[in-house]
Amino acid sequence: MATQSHSLSYAGCNFLRQRLVLSTLSGRPVKIRKIRARDDNPGLRDFEASFIRLLDKITNGSRIEINQTGTTLYYQPGLLYGGAVEHDCSDLRGIGYYLESLLCLAPFMKHPLRIVLRGVTNDQVDPSVDVLKATALPLLKQFGIDGESFELKVVRRGMPPGGGGEVFFSCPVRKVLKPVQLTDPGKIKRIRGIAYSVRVSPQMANRIVDSARSILNKFIPDIYIYTDHMKGVSSGKPHAAALLPPGCSLLALGPVSPILLLSPPHSLPQAPVGWRRSPVRSGPILLHSAASTRPRSCSCVIFAGGCIDSTNQSLGLLLMTLGQQDVSKVLLGPLSPYTIEFLRHLKSFFQIMFKIETKPCGEELKGGDKVLLTCVGIGFSNLSKTLK
Amino acid sequence: METKDQKKHRKKNSGPKAEKKKKRHLQDLQIGDEEDARKRNPKAFAVQSAVRMARSFHRTQDLKTKKHHIPVVDRTPLEPPPIVVVVMGPPKVGKSTLIQCLIRNFTRQKLTEIRGPVTIVSGKKRRLTIIECGCDINMMIDLAKVADLVLMLIDASFGFEMETFEFLNICQVHGFPKIMGVLTHLDSFKYNKQLKKTKKRLKHRFWTEVYPGAKLFYLSGMVHGEYQNQEIHNLGRFITVMKFRPLTWQTSHPYILADRMEDLTNPEDIRKNIKCDRKVSLYGYLRGAHLKNKSQIHMPGVGDFAVSDVSFLPDPCALPEQQKKRCLNEKEKLVYAPLSGVGGVLYDKDAVYVDLGGSHGFQESDEVRPTHELVQSLISTHSTIDAKMASSRVTLFSDSKPLGSEDIDNQGQWMPKEEKQIDLETGRVRRKAIFGDEEDESGDSDDEDDEEMSEGDKLDNGSSADESEEEVDAEMTDKVYMAGKGVKRQRLEMDEDSEVDLPAFADSDDDLERSSEDEGEAEEADESGEEEDSTAGKRDILESSVVGDRSKPRLLQTDGLSDGLNLENPLTIKKATLTTSDSGHCTAEEAFASEDETEESSSLSTEGEDSENEEVIRKKFPKSSKVASGQRLGSENLIDETSDVEDLLKEEEDYKEENNYSTETSGALKWKEDLSRKAAEAFLRQQQATPNLRKLIYGTVTEDNEEEDGDTREELGGLFRVSQPSGECKHKLDSLDCSRFHVEAPHDWDLEEVMNSIRDCFVTGKWEDDKDAAKILAEDEELYGDFEDLETGDVHKGKPGPDTQIEEVEEVKEEIDPSAEESAKKKHLDKKRKLKEMFDAEYDEGESTYFDDLKGEMHKQAQLNRAEFEDQDDEARVQYEGFRPGMYVRIEIESVPCEFVLNFDPHYPIILGGLGNSEGNVGYVQMRLKKHRWYKKILKSRDPIIFSVGWRRFQTIPLYYIEDHNGRQRLLKYTPQHMHCGATFWGPITPQGTGFLAVQSVSGIMPDFRIAATGVVLDLDKSIKIVKKLKLTGFPYKIFKNTSFIKGMFNSALEVAKFEGAVIRTVSGIRGQIKKALRAPEGAFRASFEDKLLMSDIVFMRTWYPVSIPAFYNPVTSLLKPVGEKDTWSGMRTTGQLRLARGVRLKPNKDSLYKPIVRQKKHFNSLHIPKALQKALPFKNKPKTQAKAGKIPKDRRRPAVIREPHERKVLALLDALSTVHSQKMKKAKEQRHLHNKEHFKVKQKEEEEKLKRQKDLRKKLFRIQGQKERRNQKSSLKGPEEPSK
Repeated sequence: MATQSHSLSYAGCNFLRQRLVLSTLSGRPVKIRKIRARDDNPGLRDFEASFIRLLDKITNGSRIEINQTGTTLYYQPGLLYGGAVEHDCSDLRGIGYYLESLLCLAPFMKHPLRIVLRGVTNDQVDPSVDVLKATALPLLKQFGIDGESFELKVVRRGMPPGGGGEVFFSCPVRKVLKPVQLTDPGKIKRIRGIAYSVRVSPQMANRIVDSARSILNKFIPDIYIYTDHMKGVSSGKPHAAALLPPGCSLLALGPVSPILLLSPPHSLPQAPVGWRRSPVRSGPILLHSAASTRPRSCSCVIFAGGCIDSTNQSLGLLLMTLGQQDVSKVLLGPLSPYTIEFLRHLKSFFQIMFKIETKPCGEELKGGDKVLLTCVGIGFSNLSKTLK
Repeated sequence: METKDQKKHRKKNSGPKAEKKKKRHLQDLQIGDEEDARKRNPKAFAVQSAVRMARSFHRTQDLKTKKHHIPVVDRTPLEPPPIVVVVMGPPKVGKSTLIQCLIRNFTRQKLTEIRGPVTIVSGKKRRLTIIECGCDINMMIDLAKVADLVLMLIDASFGFEMETFEFLNICQVHGFPKIMGVLTHLDSFKYNKQLKKTKKRLKHRFWTEVYPGAKLFYLSGMVHGEYQNQEIHNLGRFITVMKFRPLTWQTSHPYILADRMEDLTNPEDIRKNIKCDRKVSLYGYLRGAHLKNKSQIHMPGVGDFAVSDVSFLPDPCALPEQQKKRCLNEKEKLVYAPLSGVGGVLYDKDAVYVDLGGSHGFQESDEVRPTHELVQSLISTHSTIDAKMASSRVTLFSDSKPLGSEDIDNQGQWMPKEEKQIDLETGRVRRKAIFGDEEDESGDSDDEDDEEMSEGDKLDNGSSADESEEEVDAEMTDKVYMAGKGVKRQRLEMDEDSEVDLPAFADSDDDLERSSEDEGEAEEADESGEEEDSTAGKRDILESSVVGDRSKPRLLQTDGLSDGLNLENPLTIKKATLTTSDSGHCTAEEAFASEDETEESSSLSTEGEDSENEEVIRKKFPKSSKVASGQRLGSENLIDETSDVEDLLKEEEDYKEENNYSTETSGALKWKEDLSRKAAEAFLRQQQATPNLRKLIYGTVTEDNEEEDGDTREELGGLFRVSQPSGECKHKLDSLDCSRFHVEAPHDWDLEEVMNSIRDCFVTGKWEDDKDAAKILAEDEELYGDFEDLETGDVHKGKPGPDTQIEEVEEVKEEIDPSAEESAKKKHLDKKRKLKEMFDAEYDEGESTYFDDLKGEMHKQAQLNRAEFEDQDDEARVQYEGFRPGMYVRIEIESVPCEFVLNFDPHYPIILGGLGNSEGNVGYVQMRLKKHRWYKKILKSRDPIIFSVGWRRFQTIPLYYIEDHNGRQRLLKYTPQHMHCGATFWGPITPQGTGFLAVQSVSGIMPDFRIAATGVVLDLDKSIKIVKKLKLTGFPYKIFKNTSFIKGMFNSALEVAKFEGAVIRTVSGIRGQIKKALRAPEGAFRASFEDKLLMSDIVFMRTWYPVSIPAFYNPVTSLLKPVGEKDTWSGMRTTGQLRLARGVRLKPNKDSLYKPIVRQKKHFNSLHIPKALQKALPFKNKPKTQAKAGKIPKDRRRPAVIREPHERKVLALLDALSTVHSQKMKKAKEQRHLHNKEHFKVKQKEEEEKLKRQKDLRKKLFRIQGQKERRNQKSSLKGPEEPSK
């Protein structure tokens, strides 16, 4: 039945997650060739292999074929199964790498997903677990995915390179999704955040908070940044170079659409080596500068922001696509390259095209230009869910 | 005389008039002023019992809630597709007659032979597609899935037939469309009473099947072989006003009931191999949901296919435009049935005939036929694909002739797509026409010429066709613009014995095509947003013109014209220019794109691009000379770019002018005006918007068909492929997969003004006017300022002074200042609206329930759905939301089995059912199934059976199971008789909740009810959990106290190891556990039991063995069977059928045979009580049975007495005497008894007499006593006189 023309073919390892996730949801097999074919170290990396293993765990009947060099991957999706799963993620990427895809798949399982992910909770590359918790979960709630069992919990924090963090994620199952109209981002009413620190002095987190406040206070006085200092078992695995930078994530809350979510990127400027060696001496200064750059990039995010922050753009667009055959609208900031590619993939997997209108910013000082994306859902229904 | 004839006046007893009178009467009596009894007599309606009141309230609420349906979003399009009316019934019941009558009723046309669906316009807002359904179960199943309304014909003289019930059941399973019964043959009843009775009986039976109160229509008798006009008219009214509730399956899947089929296969391929797979195009109205291009579809009776192309066509049977009139005029009463040869096209196996009489505006007769040699030679040529396609276009256009202008707007747009199908394979590519820069300049003259020509054709219709033909040829030689003409000429040739009108047609088509291309071009330009044309657009045009080219030479050859070669040279040159222009545009575009895209590096060398573009072009047209010329003209183009937009605009204007001209000259081509104007408008509109993001993301829309090629560049999207150097491409392929978007901060956030740019994002920033708190407060003040205290009667004025004063002042001002007046008006309106909102809020809040809210939400969503894409033209709309229901679409499908075309029978419906995501995949489908109560047999696991699920009909092998209390799915050998059971089969994945039915066979006619089972899909999975029971037995070979060694249950120690700890049991019920394997014999193990076993015990273990389902999925390909044998499809046979056919008898197990039961008498041993126990027992419980008296020993035995003869005599005498004596005594006793009896009787008599006497005496006594008492009483009454007597 599944004819050859039915399957899609791609090249390169980029956007592997998108392809596999969309393939799983659409039921179309996918073939990915030339994965790092020209690289010195060809084929799939550990973290990708781990991701594929995770997909295998949460699906039933999927067929995965990888050639000997690991440069070609054929994936024939099965049905999403869910249930209680545990997975050890690769330490090369953060848990966010895996969690992002799980957020796309979790509402369409046969059994509600309850998964324990172990690995790196916060790193420089991927959106950290805190960010996803603060931004993606409220976004999913907009689409009618809600309930008591809908939670994301950071049990332990683990930093690269050692890892050792643990996250618990559970998500209820839905048959259909609600269409959304998120066209008004509203005003930012308050700013909440979390500053975490692991294996450093708890004072560091406080300093971050202070310096962040000093900048953001110019915009709005209602700022509250929690400090989260984990120690002992819940601070991950110790490592040789185990002086880990504290981090901070902020989110701004608006009144109209409660999901005006801004999560500043975690890109803490790579701490100089000297700092790592002797934190006591030059730490605070560096920390301060780091913290002040972060709210600055935060303002940049606000400048670019729409109703969904840039990390979750693709998630929002996917859920819009998978809605009922109704019109969904969402106002976004500038589309990230990842999202642009995602839109293309949506077109090839679901034959869905978004109407894209640029909304230039008027007289109001609301930051950069926005993009209004509109689509008609494909009338997706959860084929895995059992009818009782 | 007159007075006699007049009827006596009768008083009205009911109706409004009577009521009025009654009321007046009551009012006269002074009691009627309150008509409501509740008000008049409130005491009678006072609450008697709170409980009862609560109950009645609950009841009314329950009833109210029961009426609610779950609200759904209304997704019906503005112009809905025709309603599918299935006319169903057993043979000879009058289906065809009814259809004919209905069509005649609606359209005043009489169709003699009806094949396939007939679409008619039945009213201002409704169209019907009527299709007949025979009693082939395949057809019944298919049509039940697409039907909106079923007219179920029932022969009243015969009663219900099996088909009717079968169809009802099919309908029930597949969503239950509206069903209306129609009783026919009512004239065969002689007696009225019998007729009435039959009607009533049938009606009630019908009601039990459908729903109580379902409409049953009576057609009383025929007149001249037709039903009575009035009745048909009524029936038609019923159909036209009927309302439908959306069915889940139908609204969630797109589907098409095809009313036309064309074979597009290359004739050469067919010639080579007549059995080659075909490429067909199917036409029909799209219904249900939106259809996406390239989606999967299923054709019931044929199989699964991927849509290779979809395009929408002008509506061949359009609804009339909105008018104020009540009824349709003759021209609007359209009928469209291409399979029956109505509506302009007569379908034949290998040709298409155009019928232009009847409903169309053309009045020319068919008499004039092309007689010229040339044309005849044209006719005799074998038709090619191009020709066929061309012909299809003609027919379509002819259909759409009477359409309104707005429909025709779309007309221009379907052509390019059709064209696109043709690949560029041959060397003829180079002989193509141009739409490039040259065309822009010469467009004017071209068009005019065309116009003229069409005019000419129109004018001299009488003249023979070849004349116009020559004209065309002449033009072709010196004109640049050629493609359409080539097509046209083929069309001519194709339409074998077509009419004189055709040239005119073809011409108009030409224009259409051309303008469509132009429009396409314009649109492409729009998309790019700035001043370039898109590559793809050009390419499109190239392709389309190539089509023309390719077809043309062939023509020329056949014609024997020599100028074919002459044509080639100019063409090549022109093409070359075109290609260069292409590349030029590309550069501009890319530059722009790179500007736009922030994350792209802007270091794109134009040279590289150029070369790449050339590559692309080379790929398309492998011609070196062309490239060279391209380079030559490259510089030219750079200059052209700047003035491109101007050119385009000029072009548009030119078109407008042309069109005006054309409208003036020929009224028939009015549509053109709209077309180009619209294109221009669209262009300008999009120019302004500059939505280049779309292009950036999706590339050019028209080139999506390549996306499945899997090219490395493909996946990067249309534009990226062009704009990116290959090195960067590679880099991107393997770059880090991360969703984070590092916004390169372009601003220095420390600066105050930069920081201010996001100031308004915060609540502390500035607000919009309508949300600003201060303003809202002020407005509220204004609104609520004045109020009146109801209790005291005080009137409070908020801000009394200034407001009114100002208003007064304003009044004066208003006269001078119109804007102030306007603002005041606006203010007033605002105020009014606010008040209304308040009122609504106050009064509706109490009423609005959860249900109302839900409904409102759905309604809002529906409105949004409608409004979102309303203002866009169809071409763009189709890209976003897919083809919307109600459109007339043409679907191309490739690799269709040749039998579909060879054995095509228009009587059988062709349905294209769209499949959702992953509905094309296979897996295990679990469902709840119940054998139909009317099906005679039970169903057996692993017997192949035909299911109808979703769109599909297929044969598969199900397993039946039942779920145990612990969730275990236990295999059943047979379906239970009157119970649901589970069933699992391997087959196509269908959404949960879909109904299904099963039939054992679809071939032939069975006397019994054919539907074997019905049910619903519950679950989909890729594995199954059905198990069957397996008992393993073993025997003890060594028994200790509680431990035994068991052998014979397993074959190896490994097997034992797997079952360690498992529970085992003996037949007698002793439980135990497997402990450990023993070394010898193989497979033996040690087990412990709760009691000591016997050697005769059998030990067994109960296990569950998972069963597997054979992966057998066999679609019913009934449409591929030869004509007339379509209902003979038979798939895999059951084992029973095979045995029957082969004559193989099943060897039954001897133990399973029934034998006569012989019961042996049971002998019980006597009860033995041990001596010790006996001793202990109390006496009463001690066994009393004495031991049998043993033989008396000899010494104790008394000797026998032997009498002497004398003694014997004495004894005899004594015996005799005693006998006599006893006899005597006996007699005496009897006598005494008698005597006693008599004495007793006498005594009794005496006693009675005595009693009687006593009674009399007593009576006397009492009487005297009574008299005495009475006397006493009397005297006591007289007491005062004589107190003492």
